[in-house]
Amino acid sequence: MKRVIVACGSGVATSQTVASKVQRLLKERNIPAQVDAVDIKSIDMYVKTAAVYIAITKPEKEYPIPVCNGIAFLTGVGMENELQKVIDALR
Amino acid sequence: MDIIQSIFQYILDMGAPVFVPLIMIVVGLVVRMKFKDAFSSGLTLGVAFIGMSLIIGFMMGSIGPAAEQFVKNTGIKLNAIDGGWTAMAALAWAWPLAFLMFPLQIGINLIMLAIKQTNTLNVDLWNVWGKILPAVIVVAVSKSMVLAFIVAAIQMIVELKMADINQKQIQKLTQIPGVTSTHSMTLFGVLLYPINRLLDFVPGMNKHIDANWLKQKLGVFAENHIMGFIIAALIGIFARLSIPEILTLGVQGAAALTLFPMISKLFMQALSPLSDATSEFMKRRFKGREFHIGLDWPIMAGCNEVWVTTIILIPIMLGLAVILPGNNVLPFAGIINLSVAVPALIVTGGNLLRMIVLGIITTPVFLYVATNIAPIVTDLAKTTKSVDVPSGQMITWSTIEYPDFRYIFARAANGEILWILGALIWIGLFILYYKGMKNRNNKLDKEDEGLGRIA
Repeated sequence: MKRVIVACGSGVATSQTVASKVQRLLKERNIPAQVDAVDIKSIDMYVKTAAVYIAITKPEKEYPIPVCNGIAFLTGVGMENELQKVIDALR
Repeated sequence: MDIIQSIFQYILDMGAPVFVPLIMIVVGLVVRMKFKDAFSSGLTLGVAFIGMSLIIGFMMGSIGPAAEQFVKNTGIKLNAIDGGWTAMAALAWAWPLAFLMFPLQIGINLIMLAIKQTNTLNVDLWNVWGKILPAVIVVAVSKSMVLAFIVAAIQMIVELKMADINQKQIQKLTQIPGVTSTHSMTLFGVLLYPINRLLDFVPGMNKHIDANWLKQKLGVFAENHIMGFIIAALIGIFARLSIPEILTLGVQGAAALTLFPMISKLFMQALSPLSDATSEFMKRRFKGREFHIGLDWPIMAGCNEVWVTTIILIPIMLGLAVILPGNNVLPFAGIINLSVAVPALIVTGGNLLRMIVLGIITTPVFLYVATNIAPIVTDLAKTTKSVDVPSGQMITWSTIEYPDFRYIFARAANGEILWILGALIWIGLFILYYKGMKNRNNKLDKEDEGLGRIA
């Protein structure tokens, strides 16, 4: 199963909120994927095994996988757009 | 009446791992979750408590004896072990009245939005635990539930005002429009602001340091397992343990700090459907109105200045913990001092040098408050049976957020005149902060206009 990672400051609260939400949304659309919340301090390690990275903060460098905007899942603004980007990246 | 009392007592006596899931299931059903979802969330909370208890017990069992040796060898008393915010959050959720903070938070936000006293919609319901903690401290100190909720309410109101006035600065730092942070740690800015103004008179304070480069070089030290290993091994060295013992302790420390956040995630997973439902509810109530969305502090985690500050403060916090008289706290799981770095980021506008200086100056405040609340927090852990604290040891949080507010208002709630004065002074400083930031926002707006950035 492809992996989606969400990173925030500690990998506990904010990223887990987004991760749970994305997991739910993907499940509703019958798209299999594992969504994990990770802490941003170790991001380089996690990027290696993920298909897409949902960022809560502005990424400061290029990553080898597609990066999506996680804030959209918290505010609801532009959420459908970002979700589509995640789905496309999982194909 | 007595029957109801005894039923409650019966449930509470079963300890947090049982009664909190029960409360969660009830609350879940109230917000119309399906029974199996509510049950699942509730049970996950129970698992989270047991998990947290296991890790804290493990940490205290491994670091504790070494810390005692350390005390014997050096004569320095450090009895209260720092379990970090994840341990505190677990304790907060174990407070029987914890879930009442949800409706209080929502109610205050809705009222303030309606009377136009704020422009921020707080969707970060997870951080409600940050209001439960001061309430718990107030109850312990003053024995008054009512005052506990009043202090919590004051905090919620101040948070929303802070979120409003910080929005522009946060936007400048994160480049994210339309959001702000309602995280309670921003309240520490009230204490930092006047100190920052004093720094204006010190030459050389506006020197720019490249945080990105420093982060690349030092970043590895902030990783949980590395930090856990180093600190635990240091304790072992000072406790004059043998090399195999030091190395083992190091790995145990790494294990504790890595596992803490992993277990803590379970709390979030369990609460996320509830937090989601409430934020949807909030957003629907105010459809069409322009407001800022109040989020958790990690939106600022992309600013490397925060991480560099916390890393540089690690040895400083350890050093001060050892030399400060009257300090009883052994910094460990909470040693990454985000509680100063994030508000400092906002107050200084991202000036790394000032952030570090502010951090160094205020570290003693954190240590002393942590020392003072250790008995209260340890007691809560014991009475709610949420966390297993071995007897003779205490648990605390070395970098408790906005320690000044929490401590001052707890003592004020106890009716102590000096501290009531302190609370009034704090409110005065808050007004100063508000006015000061307003001026800054006007300047920031003018800069943007000058550069043609806003219409």
